[in-house]
Amino acid sequence: MIEAHGLTKRYGAKTAVNGISFTVQPGKVTGFLGPNGAGKSTTMRMIMGLDSPSAGTVTVNGKPYAQLRSPLTEVGALLEAKAVHQGRSATNHLRALGATHGIGKKRVAEVIEMTGLGQVAGKRVGGFSLGMGQRLGIAAAMLGDPRTLILDEPVNGLDPEGVLWVRNLVKHLAGEGRTVFLSSHLMSEMALTADHILVIGRGSIIADAPVADIVAGASGQSVRVRSPQATRLVELLAGPEVTVTSLEAGLIEVTGTSAQAVGELAAQNALVLHELTPVQASLESAYMSLTADAVEYHSTTGEQPQNREETRR
Amino acid sequence: MSATTAPAPTRSRVGQPTVTFPKLVRSEWIKLWTLRSTWWVVAITVVAQAGFTWMGTYFTLQNIDPAEIGLSPDQVGPNFLQAGIMIGQLVISVLAVLAITGEYSTGSIRSTFAAAPRRIGAVLAKGVVVLVVAFITGALATLLSWALITPSLGSEYGIDLSDEIHRRVLIAMPLYLMGVALFAFAIGALLRVSAAALATVFGVFLVVETLFGAFPNIRWMAEVSPFLPSSAGSRVLSTSTESIDALRAASDVTVLTPWQGYGVLIAWGVVLLGIALVLLRKRDA
Repeated sequence: MIEAHGLTKRYGAKTAVNGISFTVQPGKVTGFLGPNGAGKSTTMRMIMGLDSPSAGTVTVNGKPYAQLRSPLTEVGALLEAKAVHQGRSATNHLRALGATHGIGKKRVAEVIEMTGLGQVAGKRVGGFSLGMGQRLGIAAAMLGDPRTLILDEPVNGLDPEGVLWVRNLVKHLAGEGRTVFLSSHLMSEMALTADHILVIGRGSIIADAPVADIVAGASGQSVRVRSPQATRLVELLAGPEVTVTSLEAGLIEVTGTSAQAVGELAAQNALVLHELTPVQASLESAYMSLTADAVEYHSTTGEQPQNREETRR
Repeated sequence: MSATTAPAPTRSRVGQPTVTFPKLVRSEWIKLWTLRSTWWVVAITVVAQAGFTWMGTYFTLQNIDPAEIGLSPDQVGPNFLQAGIMIGQLVISVLAVLAITGEYSTGSIRSTFAAAPRRIGAVLAKGVVVLVVAFITGALATLLSWALITPSLGSEYGIDLSDEIHRRVLIAMPLYLMGVALFAFAIGALLRVSAAALATVFGVFLVVETLFGAFPNIRWMAEVSPFLPSSAGSRVLSTSTESIDALRAASDVTVLTPWQGYGVLIAWGVVLLGIALVLLRKRDA
C-alpha cells in the first residue's frame, strides 16, 4: 500500500509534482501513466525517499520509506535500469545489495534465475544491453521478496518476450496480494497489464480509476464511414451533437451518433456505403483526451497538445 | 500461498531482516573489492610508493653522503623509508574519492540509499571500509619499501625497531595514508562529483599547501600553513631528533608535535565528513 497526501516537488520556480494525493492498493497492478516529464519518476523517487518532497507526505505500508526497518523486504524498486556501477558484475551488484539485509547467495541465485540473467550474471554491467539492464533492475527489486513493487518503465528496452514476461510477473505478484505500482508512457501496455490507472499530467493527477472506467469515460465511440457519396452524407448527418472529421476523400469519422443511425440514414436516402465501422475508443485516445484537457485547463494561451513540452517551460 | 481467503504474500523467502551497521560494512566491502579499479589502485599504490622509495634511496645513497643533506645517521633510515609516500598519498586519494563519487556518477547511489534509506550508516560504512583499505595498503607499501631499501641502507642506516622515532615512522606511514584517505573521502562525500572532488584534493595537497609553505614572509600564510591537512599530518612522519621545545624556539610560527599534527589532519577529515553527512540527509540523491 502506497499513500500520498498533497505530495509536491518544486525545483526552483518549476513545480514538477503539484500536491498530488493517491492510494495504491495491494492485490492489483496500478499503472502510473503520463507523458515524459509529467512527474512520474519524481513521484517514484519521493516514494523511495530519494528526493524529499517540498510539501506533503508519502508512506509505504504505513511508514515513510526512511523509517522502514527492512526496506528491501518492504519495497522493491526499479528506478533506473542502470542504478548500478558499470564496473561490477550483476551477481556482485546483487550480493552487495543483499548484504545490507543479510540476504545471501542463495536468494541472489534465485532472482538471477527468475530474471533469466544466468548467462550474463558474471559479466560487467557496463556491457549490458538496455533489456539486460532492465532484467537486472527487476532482479534487484525482487531480491528482498518485497510486499510492494515500484517499477519505473519496466518494459522499456525489453524484447517482446521480455515484455510478456514482465506483464505476467507483475500480474502474478499482484495476485499474491502484493502492491504493484508501475509507470509507463505506453498506453497500450497499460491496457494489457494494469487493473487500475493513475494518469498524471503536468504534475497533477488527472485520472484515478479502473482501466475499464477510463476507456468508457473517454470521448465516446465514433463511426468510420466510407462512401462515394460522403459529401451528401455529411450534409444529412449535420446536427448539434454530431461532429464529422474527413479523414481522406470518401472516408469520414463521425462522433455523436451510432453506426445504426448512420446506416439507416444512408438507406433512407439511397446512399452507397463501402464501410460502416464502429470505432471503440482506445485507452490511448482516452489518455490523449485526458491529458489534452489537462493542458487546456492549465494553459492560458491554448496551445495544441503537441506543444505541451514547450509551454511548460 | 495456501488457500487463504485474503491473498497475502508469503514472507518466507527471505524473512524480514533488518539493516545493521555491520551488514552495511559487509556490503561496502563487497562493493569495493568487486571493482577491478580497487585492485589496480591498491597494487599501484604499493608498487609505485615502494618503487619510488627504493629509487630515491638507492641513487641518493650511491651519490651523496646523507650528512651533506643534513641527516644524522639515525635519521637516514626513516627518512628514506618515506621517500615515495607522496605517490601513495595521491593514488590512495583517488581510491577514497572515487569510492563515493563513483556511486553518484553511475547512479548506484540510488540502489545504495534504497537499501539503506537513512543514508548516514551507508556512507559511514563505506568510510570505514575505505579507511581500512587505506591502512592495509599503506602497511603493505611500507613493508615493501622497507624490504627494498634494506640492502641500500646497510647496517649503518638500517631501520632500528628499538629506536622510538623509527617505530613511530613505521606505524605512522599507514596511519598517514589513512588520514589522507579520510580527508579525500570527506571531500568526495561533500562534492559528489568525481572531477570536482579530485581537483579539490589534488589542489589542496599539491597547490594550496605548497603555496602557503612557499611564502614564509607573508605572515598569515606562514601561520596557517602548519594547520593545512597534509602539512599537519606529515608531522607524524618527522624524523627530527630535536625536542619539540627546541623546534618551537627556533620557529616563529606554530610547530605541532607529530601526533598533534596527525590530530589536525584527522580533524579536517572528521569536520568535512560531518558537514557532508548533515547535507546527505537533505540533498536529493
